[in-house]
Amino acid sequence: MTRRVCIAGGAVTPFDYPMHLEPESMVANCIVETQQDIPDFHLRDLQFMVYSHFSVHFGKQLCPEWIVHDHLGLVGLPHIRIENGGNTGGSALYGAFLAVKSGLFDVVGVAGWETMDNVTQSQGSEFIALASDTRYEALAGGIYPIYYAAMAYKFMKEHGLTEEDFALAALKNRNNAADNEKTQWYRGEYQQYKRDLTVDDILKSRLISYPLKRYDCCLMSRGAAFCLVTSEEWAKKNADGKYVVIDGAGLSSCTIRAGDRLAFPAWTEMYGKGYPDMTEFAACRRSGEVAYDMAGIEYKRAVKEVDVAEIHDAFSSSETQIYKALHWCDKDSIRQFVREKRTFMEGELPVNPGGGLMGYGHPVGATGIMSAVECYYQLTDMIPKKHRSSKTYVRDADVGLVNSHAGTGTSISNFILRRP
Amino acid sequence: MTGDKRLHRIPDKVEYDQRHSDDFRGDVKEVGFHFCGYDYDTAEEQLKIYLHYDQLYYWKLAELSKMGKGFLDGQLWGTKCPKCGDKFFPPRVNCWNLDCNLEKTEWVQLAQKGVVHTFTIAGWSGKSSLKRLPFVLAYVIVDGCKTAVANELRGLKPWDAEFGMPVKVVWAPKKERRAAITDFHFEPADGWKPGPMNPEKERMKELCEPVYEWVKSMQ
Repeated sequence: MTRRVCIAGGAVTPFDYPMHLEPESMVANCIVETQQDIPDFHLRDLQFMVYSHFSVHFGKQLCPEWIVHDHLGLVGLPHIRIENGGNTGGSALYGAFLAVKSGLFDVVGVAGWETMDNVTQSQGSEFIALASDTRYEALAGGIYPIYYAAMAYKFMKEHGLTEEDFALAALKNRNNAADNEKTQWYRGEYQQYKRDLTVDDILKSRLISYPLKRYDCCLMSRGAAFCLVTSEEWAKKNADGKYVVIDGAGLSSCTIRAGDRLAFPAWTEMYGKGYPDMTEFAACRRSGEVAYDMAGIEYKRAVKEVDVAEIHDAFSSSETQIYKALHWCDKDSIRQFVREKRTFMEGELPVNPGGGLMGYGHPVGATGIMSAVECYYQLTDMIPKKHRSSKTYVRDADVGLVNSHAGTGTSISNFILRRP
Repeated sequence: MTGDKRLHRIPDKVEYDQRHSDDFRGDVKEVGFHFCGYDYDTAEEQLKIYLHYDQLYYWKLAELSKMGKGFLDGQLWGTKCPKCGDKFFPPRVNCWNLDCNLEKTEWVQLAQKGVVHTFTIAGWSGKSSLKRLPFVLAYVIVDGCKTAVANELRGLKPWDAEFGMPVKVVWAPKKERRAAITDFHFEPADGWKPGPMNPEKERMKELCEPVYEWVKSMQ
């Protein structure tokens, strides 16, 4: 199929906890901001809406997308909602990609939000744990940081990494967020640190689940994001100079229970015995490979060809594990890769200049869309306007990677964005 | 179709001859939605309503009932594929092997012992688990299964847990069992001794100390 799919606009509300805006207002704000960048975009252009919202528990409202949809004035327009855990945003983007790629629609809106500040953090952790296998895992006291920590500890041991190595990702993303006033890290109680958060601060923060501390974990948030997915023809005509092409898209899945990955037959068939065990995100490797293939990127050269990436860093450990899953390094080179800070702003492949989930926050339904929008800003040179400085602007970036991630790596999507 | 052994039978009529609901239900009131207060900020004209939402809920274990009944009886039941022999705990009611094409698995009683595959020390958790912190959540491979199950590992200092350590299943007192995974936990196998303290264990201990203090402060 030669039809190319583009991102021709997008915006994000501030992410915060608490924040006092209803979902319909948050989405409306994002659309207004998109129109400020792309004046030719009008609500009348929309042909299909994909809503991205994870948990009706947080809002105590089934089908909350119905509220947002008619609030926007879009009666008559077809809409669906996609729910896929932490990968809800990435999956909604994937849905919009399919809708345009198929030729059925030319202009599709993707709007996502989450209102996690309706509960306390410990209640929120339990709500989210309802997305694990409740029969075995949530009941035993498990919440997602605990599952991730168990996987990360084994990964750390087997790859000769330390708590300090994980802390580098947390440090980088939080300090990058200090330039982006929409991030929760910038807006919140953390103003004290600005760009000066140190590895030591992270090591000294409270234990969440060994080896993860508080600053190794993302922030529970309220927030929304919007992204405009269009045909290239529409983008060229209405958003010239401000659009990117979705050159590759991959979506893959793994077990809900991390403990079921030790010898899963379908993985053994694909990647050999013992893979992914409990240390790897096979769904990330697979969806990354699919996206690389579609975009014509050789796996081994990915680290050279990708110029900027927005990675789902729910935990500092998961970002580090993803480096390997995306073929940027291997078991032997990962220590060096991390310690040489190759994903910092001054490195060869800056990751999460927008702040990532640890800096921006993680209102689940909005997060994957936020990552795509941040990457879109990089490739359309809008960062200096969107962030408070140009320190987090990756100049001349041609190729971006957007990653979205759910469960314990249960569903993962990867997208390759390119300048046209 | 009806002759296909992979199909799970759906019982038309289920009569529960052993009923114990009252033991656990007690005086729990089902209140459903209950609006029980509000906050108002005059300056910003912001209103927040306190919504309490509570109700009893059924969890039908259906095909997995044998596992739940096993918990009540202090037995561990997993499943095994008659075709390829893969053994599972938590049980899978159909084989995961694509070549076995949804072969229905058979119940097998498992030896109540296993090996720690990986673990973590939880210093934070969901609301209902906060007072148990810090605890070790371990992924244990039970009796040669192809999968690992997560459950609490007790009976040791959290920082003494090890990869590959042998563990045994320990049951809650019979009258406290609920036919759920929390009816048992893991403890170190008899004869296992923790290794000497080392810098990594010291580090974990240091991280645990404020957690112990914090839990005490919750009274």
